[in-house]
Amino acid sequence: MTTVIPFGPQHPVLPEPVQLKLELDNDVVVGALPSLGYVHRGLEKFVDTKDYNQTLYICERICGICSAIHSITYARAVEQLMNVEIPERAEYLRVIWSELARVQSHLLWLGLFADGFGFESLFMECWKYREAVMDIMEMTTGNRVITSMCKVGGTSKDLSKEHINIILKAIDDLEPQVKNLEKVFVNNYTVKKRLVGLGTLPKQLAYDVGAVGPTLRGSGVHFDIRESPSWSIYKDLNFKAVVENDGDCYARTKVRIYELYECFKLIRNAISKLPEGEISIQIKGSPTAGAEAISRSEQPRGEVVYYVKGNGTKNLERLKIRTPTFANIPALLQMLPGIKLADVPVVVLTVDPCISCTER
Amino acid sequence: MGMLNLVLSNVSRKPPTRLYPFDIRVPYESFRGRIIFNPENCIYCGICQKKCPPDAITVTKDEKTWELNVFRCIMCTECVSGCPKECIAISNERAKTGPKEYIKMVAPK
Repeated sequence: MTTVIPFGPQHPVLPEPVQLKLELDNDVVVGALPSLGYVHRGLEKFVDTKDYNQTLYICERICGICSAIHSITYARAVEQLMNVEIPERAEYLRVIWSELARVQSHLLWLGLFADGFGFESLFMECWKYREAVMDIMEMTTGNRVITSMCKVGGTSKDLSKEHINIILKAIDDLEPQVKNLEKVFVNNYTVKKRLVGLGTLPKQLAYDVGAVGPTLRGSGVHFDIRESPSWSIYKDLNFKAVVENDGDCYARTKVRIYELYECFKLIRNAISKLPEGEISIQIKGSPTAGAEAISRSEQPRGEVVYYVKGNGTKNLERLKIRTPTFANIPALLQMLPGIKLADVPVVVLTVDPCISCTER
Repeated sequence: MGMLNLVLSNVSRKPPTRLYPFDIRVPYESFRGRIIFNPENCIYCGICQKKCPPDAITVTKDEKTWELNVFRCIMCTECVSGCPKECIAISNERAKTGPKEYIKMVAPK
């Protein structure tokens, strides 16, 4: 006989409310049923009342952690809809800020994850390093989390020479610190004992259930939107996706740690190639009626998809967002059967759930 | 032994946090703290009101008033960049929190 135990919506490891109804046979999970909808805010409908420039600020507020990439993806979708090309400098600036956002998001996740398996001092260590990135965000854009640096047609903020020197110095300081963290996450006996072989998602299954981001790459599937032709700028910056083959919690942790180094490399390359010139162009008019555009980009948690449709006015006919956590929930349900109840928080955290994104 | 090294290196280090009310960090120059309105050049055209995403600004052309609902404002600086007469600026001073008295900044008529 099985017992059903509700995991969440309020649970110490979950920063946001989501409920998993866990079917247990003694101590082992045999099935899980997610229930969503605790933080639904109706943002996609709310967009009807705002024009396409104002919508950017709504998209930015979908998620607190990946706000920079949400706004960039939305701006790219609208630019595609209106057939405008933004200045090259703006493209590079967007890359720098989105990679900084990825660094802080991964450091935040590493901290939360360490806290999830009971390693509190490691949690504080990760968050201490994250502060350096948050300070850069505040210094360059004016805010720590909701950066508002992007706008339709380019960026609204620019990086001065002083800012660039500070960013480069901060990254040089951060890299050895991340190396220290890597030693703990990858080599520590306690961490390995807790993570290796836990919540395994085989390669084919990960592909079939449509997992995205580090969850997919941790299972050995080589897929990163930054390598696709629509993001040609990343090719110029010598980007390589990080892939691990084991598919367990340990592999997903390693993907995120090695991605941090990739982010540092991208920021350095983007800064060295940063062209001079304008940061934005003036956009006039409104999207034509019936025009559609899809924009995809790689968030820290995986691929995000924006669909926009114009109706001839300044307002959009439809905005549809597919967020990475939404795509990763089926993968999570595949990981849970067969593990013990005590390991459920660790497995849930490895997909880096962002429920506010998912429910919008 | 990675964690032991981290712990040992932290022993001789100062805490990374500040003793907040006594030690306040100087805000960065570009920090978006609060909106400042200068009524001298304002022509009450209402562009800021149209651009404001959360509808925090109310402008009346006839009575020549300019109001900002601070509780609604999201500090996006659309009004600052959109003002044709450069009457709206942003200060890096953090806005004071408070009850209702602070909710509106009314420009003198």
